[in-house]
Order: sequence, then C-alpha cells, then structure tokens
Amino acid sequence: MISKAFRTVFKKEIMENIRDKRTMMSSVVMGSFLGPLMALGIIYMTAQMGKDKAEKQLELPVVNMEYAQNLKKHLLSQDVKIMTLNKSPEAAIKDKDHDVVLAIDENFADDMLNAKPAKVMLYYDASAKGAANVSVRRVRALINAYSSQIGAMRLQLRGVSPSLMQVVMIEDHDQATDQSKGAQLMLFLPYFLIMGLFMGSMYLAIDTTAGEKERKSLEPLFLNPVSRVDVLSGKLAATIGFGLLTLVLTLIAFKLTLPFYPSQSLGLTLSLGLADMGLMLLVLLPLSLLAGSIQTIIAAFAKSFKEAQTYVNLVIFIPLIPSMLLMFMPVKEKLWMMATPILSQNIIINEMIRGETVSWSNIGISVAGTFLGGMVLAWIAVRLYNKESMLFSD
Amino acid sequence: MIQVEKISKSFGKVQAVKDVSLVARDGQITALLGANGAGKTTSMRMIYALITPETGVVTVDGINSTDDPVAARARMGVLPDARGLYLRLTARENMAYFGRLQGMSEADINSRSDELITRLGMEKFADRQTDGFSQGQRVKVAIARALIHDPQNILLDEPTNGLDVMSTRAIRTFLREEKARGKCILFSSHVMQEVSAVCDVITVIDGGLVRAVGSEADLLAQSGQNNLEDAFVHLVTGGEAA
Repeated sequence: MISKAFRTVFKKEIMENIRDKRTMMSSVVMGSFLGPLMALGIIYMTAQMGKDKAEKQLELPVVNMEYAQNLKKHLLSQDVKIMTLNKSPEAAIKDKDHDVVLAIDENFADDMLNAKPAKVMLYYDASAKGAANVSVRRVRALINAYSSQIGAMRLQLRGVSPSLMQVVMIEDHDQATDQSKGAQLMLFLPYFLIMGLFMGSMYLAIDTTAGEKERKSLEPLFLNPVSRVDVLSGKLAATIGFGLLTLVLTLIAFKLTLPFYPSQSLGLTLSLGLADMGLMLLVLLPLSLLAGSIQTIIAAFAKSFKEAQTYVNLVIFIPLIPSMLLMFMPVKEKLWMMATPILSQNIIINEMIRGETVSWSNIGISVAGTFLGGMVLAWIAVRLYNKESMLFSD
Repeated sequence: MIQVEKISKSFGKVQAVKDVSLVARDGQITALLGANGAGKTTSMRMIYALITPETGVVTVDGINSTDDPVAARARMGVLPDARGLYLRLTARENMAYFGRLQGMSEADINSRSDELITRLGMEKFADRQTDGFSQGQRVKVAIARALIHDPQNILLDEPTNGLDVMSTRAIRTFLREEKARGKCILFSSHVMQEVSAVCDVITVIDGGLVRAVGSEADLLAQSGQNNLEDAFVHLVTGGEAA
C-alpha cells in the first residue's frame, strides 16, 4: 500500500534535488558519462600506441654495426632504420632515449666465419610499459629470423635438411572469439555501471538524512502526523530513483560511445544490443535498492553532511573489490557467488560481454539474492529513526 | 487544551526534566519560562510527542500522546527549536509540503496559505526560494508551515529568539489573534519582557523542575518582588541571589 505521505515525501525530494543543478551535474551526469568517456579515451590511446609501434618504421640504434655487415644488409632489407649511438647503451635505455639498443660483439665476424654462435647484446627495460615491449619483440624477431635463415643455409651446404632441426611443431589454435577479445577491454564495464549507480544515489542518501539533520529540518518534519516509516520510505524511494536514473544514463552513454571504439583496428566486435542492455538493467535493478539503503543507513549515523560524505564515499570502493578480483583471476562461477550482491552482477555482465549465454537460473538467483539483501537493508533504513537518539545532531 | 502530568526524562546520568506538570487552556497563552538549559526544550519535545517521557502523561485535547502520537500531533502546530526550511523550495512550497503531510486538500492548502501569508506579512517573499532569507523571514515561514492545518493547539519553542522589533511584534500580534480565536497557545521562552507582554499563565522551570506557576501578578506576590525579572531570579535561586 502506498500512503499519501510516502508520495508527498517522494515527490518533494525529487523536485528539490532536480532544482539543485550542481548536484545533478556532479552526481547524475558525471556519474553516468565520466566512466564511458574515460574508458573510451584509455582504450583509444592504448590501441593507437600499440598500432604506431607495430607499424611504424623501426628505429634501431646499433653499436659496432661495422662488425656485422651481413646482418646490416638483412636489417636494411626489413626496412629498419639503423642509427648510431653517441652514449653508452645502458645510459640510452635509462634516459628513455630509445626502447631498445642492439650491440654487436667485437668477435662477431670471426665467430660467424668459424660457425660458432656469434654474440649480439640487446639492451632494454623489461619493466617498461606496453608499447616499448613491442619494439623489443620486433628486434628479437628480426635477429631470430636472420639466425635461422643463416642456420638453414649452413645445413643445406652440408647436405642436411633444415627440417631435421624442427623436432616438434606447434600449431596455434586460439579459442578466443572476436567478442571475447573485446571483452578484455570491456572488463571495467560492470564496475562503471555499478559505480554510476552508487554515485547517483549518494547525494540524496546524505541530503535526506545527515543533511536534513544538519539543516535542522528533520525535527519539524517528524512533527507531522505521519509515521516515520512512511517518511523514510519516501526518502529512500527518491534516493533509489536517482541511482536508477544514473544507471540508465550510464547504459545509454556506453551505447552512444560504442561506435567510437577502435574495434576495427583491434579486429574486435563489441556488441551491446537493446536486449543486452535490458538484461543488464534487470540484473542491476535490485542493486540500486541495496545501494540506496546502505548509503542511507551509513549517512543516518553521521552527525553532519561532511562526515556522511566521507563515509559514503568509502562505500563506492566496495564494488571495486569484486571487479578487480575478476579482472586478474578468472573464477569458475559457483552458486554462492550468484547469490552474492555486486559479485554476481560483475560475473553476469562479464559473461554477457564475452558473448556467453547466461542461464536464467543464474540471473534469477542473482536478482533474488540481491533483492532480498536490499529489502533487509531498506527495512533497517526506514526504521532507524524510531530511535530517539538518531533525531538530533547535538 | 494540553495537560502535562509529572513528565520526566533523563539522558544517560543527566536528569533533564523531573516531574514537570502544567496545564495550557484554550483561549490562553501559557508560558514555560526558564534559563538556558533549564529543561524547556526537552519538556516541549515530550509535550509535542517527538520523544517519549520516561514517566508521566501528556494529553492533547484528551488524546494520550504516548498511546497515539500521530493523532496527538495532528491536533498540534509546533514551531520547534530546530526550524530549518527547505532552501530550494519557495516559502509557499515549504508550507504546502507540510499541509500535504497533514493530509489537507490542495484547495485548503491554497486558501490557508494565502491567509497566513497576509496575516504574517509575507507577501513580498512568499514565492521566492527560501535560500538567503533573513532570520525574521525564516521564522515567519516556519510558523506558517507549522500552523498550515489551523491546529487547536499551538506550541512554540523560543519563537522570537534573535528577531528584530518589527518581526517580534508581528508574531505577538498573530499569537494574540489566535488566542482571541480560542486557541490554546503554549510557548517557551527565557525572555522576561516577552512573557510579561503576552502570557496569561507562567510556569517557571529550572534545573528540570517546576519552581512556580501562576499569572505574572501571582508570581510577583509570591516572591515579594515588583518586576518579573527579579521575581524569576528570586524563584529559581530560592531568594539567595536576589
């Protein structure tokens, strides 16, 4: 049954919050659009940098190139730009002048003539970020190709088939689908969705409890002849409403930014159809109940708006834990995981992004488990103010 | 009519109010006079059914406020110590919000709002958002909001605290008009002139206890003093610091 008091409080909180333009901008709009835009930016930069390094002409500083004229010809034929170095290879790497430096051993020519392994030195920093490693891999591949080319020639000169050298041959069968490759880049999506939802309801959760206490309007409000449970339910419903609004906007923002992902250059297909979006919304719906309730409970115990803000801000990091865990270690889903709020939403959305089919029973367990948890917290939240000590900030 | 019989309240080890009794009759303005920290606000909070007394009974127009706080609150209009407004709502919207929570129809809310706006002189700021209102404007909105449902019993906790002469007069005039309409008015104050100017019956409270009850003349006679301030000091100190 929905009482008139519930509706009155709900409408008033919604109207008051919408009038607060700054809050609407910072929590609802930022909460929903910041994540997708940030993700787009990061993916774009990563993809672009990898592509540049892989396709651009390789600039390779070589020390003592004169000892290996044959290798020089090979490198030049592979479109490598050979450069000279005016400082030590160690310093060049340390100062980040180059990603990789090749040095030729002074006995290279003699060893080559005597069919002994001729030595070259590769200088690089293995702890350097992604794009630098691309250069190292390319140089290594060039040298290895040269080495096996010469090796094969030597065997043939002695009347031995080079294929004798190859005892085992590995044939790659990568089972990643184009969609699951895209998924690696999209693993952050559940976190952004859940974070958006938490951010959307955060402000009202604080404003309707600690804020109202601080402004000294809670006492007059409770002097009206309505039950405190009705008043608090109305406030909670408005809080959850803004969480949902932010969630829907986040989904729309992702849908809108999706065409701009460099999926072509990465050879990936990312899809987020209307049915997928609907399913994600369904899975996340009960979480908004849980988020709004837990934020309301925490804020109700704070004495001031600022204190409440500090506590509630910490809560936003809770959804980060399962998202991070799933990013670094693949888990096999179990029943208890599906009943655990936040974790189950992470798993289900990840499965959807990877293009796997999610079973309806899993969705059911997740929705039911989270809804139940949310209801318990909501029940606590609306009854908090029956305690007299919660009414006054002093 | 409000009847208070021997209400008490303690917070931890501190006994804030002990066995306070008083009667506020219809057509009278009754004062609860006491210094800061005497137990006025705690007593008022128990009377308007925000907190439950540990002992004793409060009845509002015959309704026991512990048994049925919601019905008791419907009979009262309260300006509490905390009088925060909703800053992003206009004065009129603040009033309408409380009117709806009182269960009034939109038509009643509109006509009663117009009446209160005129009587309290709020025409100039009634349709502005309350953010940035002066102290006097804020108190007027808070009073109008509390009395939107035209309650029989009007309770005010230090209503003119921090107001200028003009606002104070406007509120006194308003309370006298309500008294003439047969309303029961109970207000707490620590300002002697105020109590002297508007009240019919005075209950003096100190240290959580009732020290004296009666009209201003009664209290002067009882203490043998010739002004209310001296009478008050005499009554709360037992004549020692007079």
